[in-house]
Amino acid sequence: MDEKIAEVNKKNIEWENTKGLREPIKALEDKWKLVPSFLQVKGLVKQHIDSFNYFINVEIKKIVQANEKVFCDADPLFYIKYLNAYVGTPDLEEGFNVTKAATPHECRLRDMTYSAPITVDIEYIRGNQRVIKNKQLIGRMPLMLRSSNCVLTNKSDFELAQLNECPHDPGGYFIIRGQEKVILIQEQLSKNRMIVDEFKGAIQCQVTSSTHEKKTRTNVIVKNGKYVMRHNALSDDIPIAVAFKAMGICTDQEIMQLVGSDDAIAKKMAPCIMECHNLKIFTQNQALAYIGSKLKVKRFQTANTKARTPIDEARDLLATTILAHVTVENFNFYVKAIYLAIMVKRVIEAENNKSAIDDPDYYGNKRLELAGSLLSLMFEDLFKRFNWELKSIADKIIPKVKAAPFDVVKHMRPDLIANGLFTAISSGNWTIKRFKMERHGVTQVLSRLSYISALGMMTRVNSQFEKTRKVSGPRSLQPSQWGMLCPSDTPEGEGCGLVKNLALMTHITTDSSEEPISRLACNSGVEDVRLLGGEEINHPAVYIVFLNGNILGVTRQYKKLIKIFRMFRRRGLISSFVSIYPNHNQRTVYICSDGGRLCRPYIIVEKGNPLVQQVHINELNRGIRKFQDFLNDGLIEYLDVNEENDSHIATVEAEIDPYVTTHLEIEPFTILGVCAGLVPYPHHNQSPRNTYQCAMGKQAMGTIGYNQKNRIDTLMYNLVYPQCPMVKTKTIELTNFDKLPAGQNATVAVMSYSGYDIEDALILNRASIDRGYGRCLVYKSAKTTMKRYSNQTSDRILGPSKDATTGKVIKAHDILDSDGIAAPGEMVENRQVLINKQMPPATINPIAQGQQQQQIEYKEVPVTYKGPVESYIERVMVSANAEDAFLIKILLRQTRIPEIGDKFSSRHGQKGVTGLIVQQEDMPFNDRGICPDMIMNPHGFPSRMTVGKTIELLAGKAGLMEGKFHYGTAFGGSKVRDVCNELEKHGYNYHGKDIFYSGITGEPLEAYIYSGPVYYQKLKHMVQDKMHARARGPRAVLTRQPTEGRSRDGGLRLGEMERDCLIGYGASMLLMERLMLASDAFSADICGACGRLASRAWCHACRSSAAVSAVEMPYACKLLFQELASMNIVPKLTLKKYC
Amino acid sequence: MADVGNRDQSITKVPMIYVCGECHKENEIKPRDPIRCRECGYRIMYKKRTKRCILFNSDNSI
Repeated sequence: MDEKIAEVNKKNIEWENTKGLREPIKALEDKWKLVPSFLQVKGLVKQHIDSFNYFINVEIKKIVQANEKVFCDADPLFYIKYLNAYVGTPDLEEGFNVTKAATPHECRLRDMTYSAPITVDIEYIRGNQRVIKNKQLIGRMPLMLRSSNCVLTNKSDFELAQLNECPHDPGGYFIIRGQEKVILIQEQLSKNRMIVDEFKGAIQCQVTSSTHEKKTRTNVIVKNGKYVMRHNALSDDIPIAVAFKAMGICTDQEIMQLVGSDDAIAKKMAPCIMECHNLKIFTQNQALAYIGSKLKVKRFQTANTKARTPIDEARDLLATTILAHVTVENFNFYVKAIYLAIMVKRVIEAENNKSAIDDPDYYGNKRLELAGSLLSLMFEDLFKRFNWELKSIADKIIPKVKAAPFDVVKHMRPDLIANGLFTAISSGNWTIKRFKMERHGVTQVLSRLSYISALGMMTRVNSQFEKTRKVSGPRSLQPSQWGMLCPSDTPEGEGCGLVKNLALMTHITTDSSEEPISRLACNSGVEDVRLLGGEEINHPAVYIVFLNGNILGVTRQYKKLIKIFRMFRRRGLISSFVSIYPNHNQRTVYICSDGGRLCRPYIIVEKGNPLVQQVHINELNRGIRKFQDFLNDGLIEYLDVNEENDSHIATVEAEIDPYVTTHLEIEPFTILGVCAGLVPYPHHNQSPRNTYQCAMGKQAMGTIGYNQKNRIDTLMYNLVYPQCPMVKTKTIELTNFDKLPAGQNATVAVMSYSGYDIEDALILNRASIDRGYGRCLVYKSAKTTMKRYSNQTSDRILGPSKDATTGKVIKAHDILDSDGIAAPGEMVENRQVLINKQMPPATINPIAQGQQQQQIEYKEVPVTYKGPVESYIERVMVSANAEDAFLIKILLRQTRIPEIGDKFSSRHGQKGVTGLIVQQEDMPFNDRGICPDMIMNPHGFPSRMTVGKTIELLAGKAGLMEGKFHYGTAFGGSKVRDVCNELEKHGYNYHGKDIFYSGITGEPLEAYIYSGPVYYQKLKHMVQDKMHARARGPRAVLTRQPTEGRSRDGGLRLGEMERDCLIGYGASMLLMERLMLASDAFSADICGACGRLASRAWCHACRSSAAVSAVEMPYACKLLFQELASMNIVPKLTLKKYC
Repeated sequence: MADVGNRDQSITKVPMIYVCGECHKENEIKPRDPIRCRECGYRIMYKKRTKRCILFNSDNSI
């Protein structure tokens, strides 16, 4: 490919200077400013929003149009026709058809769903009139925040603040019943494409066809040296020649011409042709009869199916099910036969040349499914069910004679579609029967630990592979991931490499119309394949053109075609996301306009010069040029993974080779994602350290959003004094992390101190803590609803109870107001009641009770506070939820100060717990009297190789002196040399080392100490949430063993390995004590005569108590004996006196 | 525990004052009344801060 471009370019450049005399291309200043400009329109969460917008504005209308008519069996004249569909603006139902505009924040607080009505215009028959009704409600659509119909779109920061919304909140998620839910991006193999792979040693060509109605898979495989077609609807493999004959390609010559007539192919095909002759299949009918005999027997035989012959069935199957995406009109199978022939050809090629096997992990073969496409599948399914229900209602009611004519509008229940969508999003279970699709965990609750964790979740990509499978292929880093998916951000452990994150500049395409593309292709020399024979199609000078997996035609001048397409795209005459690229081995040109492709923008390079010039950047700086203008002017274009691999892309200007380079990278740091973008100098770190930081950045406490004080989340961590990092990156500014930070700049001395700093433990300065370092707020919320029950009773809340003797309010109810709800500002201790709620018993008959309402014995179900450390009530909210029941939410606050065991981490995957908190007097101090906030052990460096952290310290220190922020942007940032010079200028050591004096003895330390500010994050793991001890406590009912887990005040388990130690040591009595006496000791009565369990010193089997003796054994052992006995297995014990 | 107390008195019909989350108007709401601001119709109310004196115990801080 490169040579071909070179050839063209060489001609163009001849008039210019020769290469050696060319001036070096000047690097553009502020080229990175294209990135924020890009992020304004695309990228990060915009793909979610774009996809959802496409769904509610375009796709939903198409779906309704595709299912526009509903007929009924009872009345041939009756019909419903959908004319149009709309998704409205979000509102809340306030009963009796009164609605009020909704805001996302109100929905969050009141546990409601942020949704908009779906209305349709319908035309239908009422009685014998044709009626048109507009704006008929058929369901509700959960709305994505910041989508086109959301109240937050196009609002200024001030307006957002009035709606209690953070201007930096990315949106792109849903609010279902008060919960923020994200539909994760799902990765899968592309549909309607041929994939050649090796399966158990045999080569096969697989196509997963997907249309609106069907989703089927067709294979062409090698079986005993012959080619066969395999499909799920067929009970047996069909010889390929038979399949061709069934499609009306009856002569062997035609078959051979379609597949290819050169010797190599002929040799491979000969046995297949032979086989067909042996089967005595010569005509289309014979072939169809053969396929008809291999049909899988359908379980449900209806009147329709019986009337048809197997031949008809087979013909139908070939037309609609096998390779369903290749459309067949009037049973003209020619295009489908060509498609099948190409599949066979691919298999033959792959047999001869293993490198022709496709890589299923290659990102060009993948598509990402977003919220819009997943919701459209779900909506279509629900809409079909809705129509089916209408039909069955019509079938039932129309035959009955009634006073009023049957009005179908009255039977339209909007909750079918609404609840279907709500439950799908809130449970994450995507079950679509017509595609036999059953997926779990499609949605997740948006993690609001920190701003970055929420943002990181929006860029997450989930792949469909099983996590348990031990294959490395899909997990390893694919070269085609470059620039599209972050190479660092992936979890450790089972999800490693399967869960990925989008890079900063990635965009995911949405479907765009095929029509203008196929018209343009035909106008630029693509010839219809139906007019050509096999020989012409397979001619070496001819390239086959595919559009979204379908054969569009052939072309003799593929270069011209590609050039025209790219020119049109750059001119903006076709969608900028259409990609076109050739495959020279297959002699094909692929054009893609489908949704779900990964793509990113590049600067176009022509004749060795990037088209974006300094003037353009200056215009961008002045604000008179936007990203879209760069696209419109053809300076920048989007390339998807496939086209990217057909281009020659220079990373920096200096790499541009005028003969081959076609594109220039905008900024190299955009290959990283949001989380990895926080790391300063990541290019100096060992790669896994960046991966660790990506996981830890999501656990860091800090700020969630400007509206954090208005939220009532079940759990929220905030830092009291969050700081912006001294060493920023471009990504930090682009993602607004500097405005919503999660961490503090600690002055770190890299030295050893006491013995409490081994194994990454940190030493903290007491005085720093007192000044507010690492101080955090932990908010928890308690919530309850007052339900109404069907028997006219409801929950109630009582005021505080008084002690009968003293007349004082009891301790547990101390903080309750007269309304029975705790008052804001009060301190709550363990086991105190927050809401004094009572519930009526379930079995009350309202009729029998009558006036005796007072007598009902209510059951106490108070909401109590649990926790070893007291909390304060921050806020109490009283409201009504969707069912109009009372909803009470109480927000509890704790202010936590760092203590020994709290976890901290720098931005380089270097986590550590506090090992010791030292008085400032004892901390070392330098010659300027500076005392570090934190001491870190230098042993953390050699094996981790986090050089980035040492540079961060240096750059941070220099920044302090200069009073500015330094940059540690990936593949760029402030240079160490410059930073060191700056330090020296301010009278510091060039290497960042200072003289330190011991705080204890006052002597100077023997070494110079490397010290300076490093951005440290406080992680959510704190001892207070983990501390746990138990002597006696609750036991499990079944086994009588101590319960498990801190939340249930459980015991500390002496596990198998600990047991092994005691056995090895021979401490039998200790073992006995730990495993039985301290656990579930039980005195069982055993009959010595029969060896079975006796009850109450009486053996039922022997009918005597003579030989019964009490034996101490674990209760679990006794339980086992009883369980075995219940299964007709008799365990018997032999008793012996042991002393 | 509550069995001991005289329950009939504890279900007081004394209205409580809640503050509207939208217009900050103080609303008197009796138990079992619908939660809705009389001024603006907003349906989220907050309780007023306790009248009791809350002293910060400095011993607990460290």
